[in-house]
Amino acid sequence: MLVRTRLSTLSAIALLVAACGGSGASTAPTQAASTQSTASQAPPATQAAAEDVCTKPKGTSGVTLGFASYGGVYQKAQRDGWLTPYTALTGVQFAESEESANAEIKKQVENNAVTWDVVDVGNDFGLSANAAVLEPLDYSLIKKDEILPGFASDLRVADITYGVVLAYRSDKFSTPPAGWADFFDLQKFPGKRGMYDYSAGGIFEVALMADGVAPKDLYRNGQGLDVDRAITKLDTIKSSLVFWPGGAKSMELIEAGEVTMSLMWNGRAWSAKHIDNKPVEIQWNQQILTADFFVVPKGTPHKADAMQFIAWATCAQNNAAPSNEIPYGPTNKNAKPQADKVADLAVTNVNDSTAYFDDEWLVNNAAMLDQKYNDWKTK
Amino acid sequence: MAAVADRIRNPGRRLRGGPTFNRWAILLLPAIAFLIAFFIAPLILMGFRSVTDPPGAGLSNYAAFFANEANVRVLTNTFTIAAISTIACLVMGYPYAYLMVQAPPRLAGVLLIIVLIPFWSSLLVRTFAWEVILRDTGVINSVLLSWGVIDEPLQLMRNTLGVILGMSQILLPFMVLPLYTVMRRIDPELTRAASNLGARPWPAFRRVFLPLSLPGIASGSLLVFVLALGFYITPTILGSPRETMISRFIADQIQTRLNWGLGSAMAVILMLLTLVCLLAASRFVRIRDVYGAIGEET
Repeated sequence: MLVRTRLSTLSAIALLVAACGGSGASTAPTQAASTQSTASQAPPATQAAAEDVCTKPKGTSGVTLGFASYGGVYQKAQRDGWLTPYTALTGVQFAESEESANAEIKKQVENNAVTWDVVDVGNDFGLSANAAVLEPLDYSLIKKDEILPGFASDLRVADITYGVVLAYRSDKFSTPPAGWADFFDLQKFPGKRGMYDYSAGGIFEVALMADGVAPKDLYRNGQGLDVDRAITKLDTIKSSLVFWPGGAKSMELIEAGEVTMSLMWNGRAWSAKHIDNKPVEIQWNQQILTADFFVVPKGTPHKADAMQFIAWATCAQNNAAPSNEIPYGPTNKNAKPQADKVADLAVTNVNDSTAYFDDEWLVNNAAMLDQKYNDWKTK
Repeated sequence: MAAVADRIRNPGRRLRGGPTFNRWAILLLPAIAFLIAFFIAPLILMGFRSVTDPPGAGLSNYAAFFANEANVRVLTNTFTIAAISTIACLVMGYPYAYLMVQAPPRLAGVLLIIVLIPFWSSLLVRTFAWEVILRDTGVINSVLLSWGVIDEPLQLMRNTLGVILGMSQILLPFMVLPLYTVMRRIDPELTRAASNLGARPWPAFRRVFLPLSLPGIASGSLLVFVLALGFYITPTILGSPRETMISRFIADQIQTRLNWGLGSAMAVILMLLTLVCLLAASRFVRIRDVYGAIGEET
């Protein structure tokens, strides 16, 4: 009897406690950068420092900049390539967050509690729609004409390029797939297909390219993607599509053999082959070249220092440093990555078949894209 | 005699009736304050945001939600999957709770620990474990393929089956524990009396034990159903996009699309529909019994 009473007490407590924590709701913990030094002073910006910023940036020693990116080996490469050398050079410290998120930027700015000074964001942010929450970049410091065309704009500058590519299992096919048309050919290339679960992640673009649309015509001169045509094409392989929500999952699917071909980010495909030693190869033909961008949240107390750092990191002599650790390319045209890394970079493998996202159109039409995507996906 | 017993149980109560106030209720104030500050207030704020973001939205977010066919489809799907999960949990949980009640104390303790162990492991780990077991190249398929039982991998996940398996395993403790608490209080003499009066085992169970365990069934089912409505990670990992649950859409709007007005409106819709379900359930079950089943002592 006593045991049973104790059991039911225990079960009551366990039930109540676990009801809060054991449910399926997810929390996406966003850690804001932690401490900052209080006494920051605006560095003297009197000289025309554009030439000097690449070698002698005017960082205020002792200041801590909040730096937010996406963690993992990616952020480690940025840290080793940029953050640590910059600290050694200027004395500016970095408080890092590995949970970069657009929602967090918006939240910080809205609450007037900006702790992130330099944020690495995806290609869906930093556009004119986000002007209210971002500082315009200082292009008197940043060398805009050296950045790849289309990858520098008022509110953002690309820091790292990468490619959305067709990755495939080389052990499953005698002839490798030549492009996206083969991705949609289940006869010649049997097996399931991995796909990024995001309406603006490339799914419609690759379907259109598979349907014969030339890369420069994807957005029909500003009219935008022909989503209905893409959906018709996607319907031909819909039951074979396996959606992945993030990079790690995309690797897992193709490494386990759950899918024989997948749309992947080139760095992840590279890791599958070189780090996990699986027979995964990249087809660079018809890749979509895109980038991650540096932005500065509006109202940050360290604006000048943030601008100095961004200008320094995008200079030709500094921009390629992270590429020595991960196969993500520089954004400065004159940057020189190490010779043995060059072949794995997306920028190196650009040719006439390479496509580009129209980020402005994608963001401005996000609601419509989402709606059509979800409508199609959930049918 | 009853009055004295009553007085012992409710020390704050005046013997002659009148308004009752249990002075121990003051201990509830911190918890209530916490709930108001961090639960009620944010809910109200969310409700405000659903009609004020973007400025002057009014009911436009709600209209936008229902205008989209996919949203309605996903909403229906959410309730369907929650209902199926509840039934699955009931079918699996009832015999388990019954076994716990019939078992000797030590075995009952072991069975209870087994039910509680999932609480001590991460939900994500459990979901991914299911994936490793169920997927095309997973444990089950690999074994069956290597034995030659099948030629093609069985589709055990990326469909409703995978989702139900994963969700019901995670929600099972929430069904078993209320059931157990109620069943434990059912006097075994009653079923024995029925057999003494000539009833065979199954009718004795069906007509004596089962009706007495209904509050447990009601409370467990309600708990599992409401929790299942909020799931979206497990259905996303183990199901196909056709099994998308509404919370996934809410999360997308809030975290990715930064459309907090629409996200809040979706959340309010889900909450209101859940309350409607609770109201409907209260026609058949006293909600007080639900709470009674969870925590009441003799």
